[in-house]
Amino acid sequence: MVYKRILVTNMGEFLDEIVENSLDLIHGRKVEVIGIFVVDTSVPFLTPSKVKDMMIAELEKKGGEVLSKMEKKFQKPNITFRGTLRKGDPADEIVKVAERENVDVIVMGTGKTKIDKHLLGSVSEKVVHSAPCNILLIRKQ
Amino acid sequence: MFPWILYIVILAGSLILVIKSADTFVDNLVDIGAALGISQIILGVTASAIGTSLPEFGSAMIASLTGSTDIGVGVVIGSNIWNIAGILGISAIVSGLIKTESRGIKRDGMITLITALLLIFFMFFGDVTRVSAIIMIIVYVFYLWILIRDQKKDSNEIKGNFKNPIDNESSSTKSFNIKTVLWTVVGFIGLVIGCRLLIYSGIEIAKIAGIPEMIMGLFTLAIATSIPELVVTLSSAMKGLHDLSIGTVLGSNTFNIMIGIGVPALFMNIPVEKLSLTFDAPVMIFVTVLVLLLLKRGMKLTRIDGLILVSTYIIYAITRLYISV
Repeated sequence: MVYKRILVTNMGEFLDEIVENSLDLIHGRKVEVIGIFVVDTSVPFLTPSKVKDMMIAELEKKGGEVLSKMEKKFQKPNITFRGTLRKGDPADEIVKVAERENVDVIVMGTGKTKIDKHLLGSVSEKVVHSAPCNILLIRKQ
Repeated sequence: MFPWILYIVILAGSLILVIKSADTFVDNLVDIGAALGISQIILGVTASAIGTSLPEFGSAMIASLTGSTDIGVGVVIGSNIWNIAGILGISAIVSGLIKTESRGIKRDGMITLITALLLIFFMFFGDVTRVSAIIMIIVYVFYLWILIRDQKKDSNEIKGNFKNPIDNESSSTKSFNIKTVLWTVVGFIGLVIGCRLLIYSGIEIAKIAGIPEMIMGLFTLAIATSIPELVVTLSSAMKGLHDLSIGTVLGSNTFNIMIGIGVPALFMNIPVEKLSLTFDAPVMIFVTVLVLLLLKRGMKLTRIDGLILVSTYIIYAITRLYISV
């Protein structure tokens, strides 16, 4: 399959590996890359609202930085880059953007340990179950 | 059997009232401050510094004003030990990793240690007096000034170096009206009533169970009033907001001592229980040094470090209960 539109997700971890594998997948072809960072807005009950606002602001700042880095790394003559910062549940937002933008493939990181998966959950596992397209999972080295 | 259940229900209900009222109070107070032209940086730093610690402060203040100074001191020292050993420990275990920068250890870590040492120094003289209170409040105001100065510097650097490629929704500023003032007053009243009920139910449960009030303050009330710190520290660690995670705990500990004991001591001398001086306060200093050493080793807290911290808390709790009951 020739991929023309790729959704690259990153939450700030192992960006270099994700970009490297995406470029390998693109292989010099003319493509559109959509970079996505999702600000997870969920907070537990009894979180002070000003602290919640601060957490969201911090995550937006981090998201902007991640997308800036991504834009620089994808600066190639054959690639058109577009960044999108979304708010909500990371897995849901990734799937929504993939559907809306009609992407051909989602590139995302994976590689949590069993303990981490139980304690923190796994975004990639959720996306795998509801993605409307192919997925390239990049294992954390 | 019945009074037990009743007091536990009052304790749980008043705890929710205290936390939600503190939130409403701070939220609306910040809106009033913004409308009066106080800088967003000053408001942000102050709100985040006091936001999670208001339940401890309110409980310590009400306990001291109603003559239960043991509970007041217990809530502060107990919260500080729980914040570091319990909350940071649990957060490190669940998130697997909490990173820090050297500035976080140097600034917030050192001030937390200095305030703990300052408290034990004042405790050596017997009661915590008005003079000690004034010194503690001045130290806290100075710390707040450092926080605001650093925050200003950080936001200038961000403005200068980083261009966000994404169009974000700009946050709307709430206007200041009579409703905001009313909610501030409602928040304050709720906080006072909630803290009073919390202390009352705590004392009654202690009486029924036959345990000292200090133990009630050190454990039940300290852990209960630290729920905001727990949810913020844990969720920010899980979201990778490491600075916020560690900053919440260290900032809260500084506030608890300097304001949680400092402000009540302005109104009355706070007597010091012998075990507080010889056991609880040294444990508070020990866990502060322990977490700073663990952080300094690799500029992070790992799951193993979390287990060390939680184990330390369990050992402390068992020993303290064994000594007192």
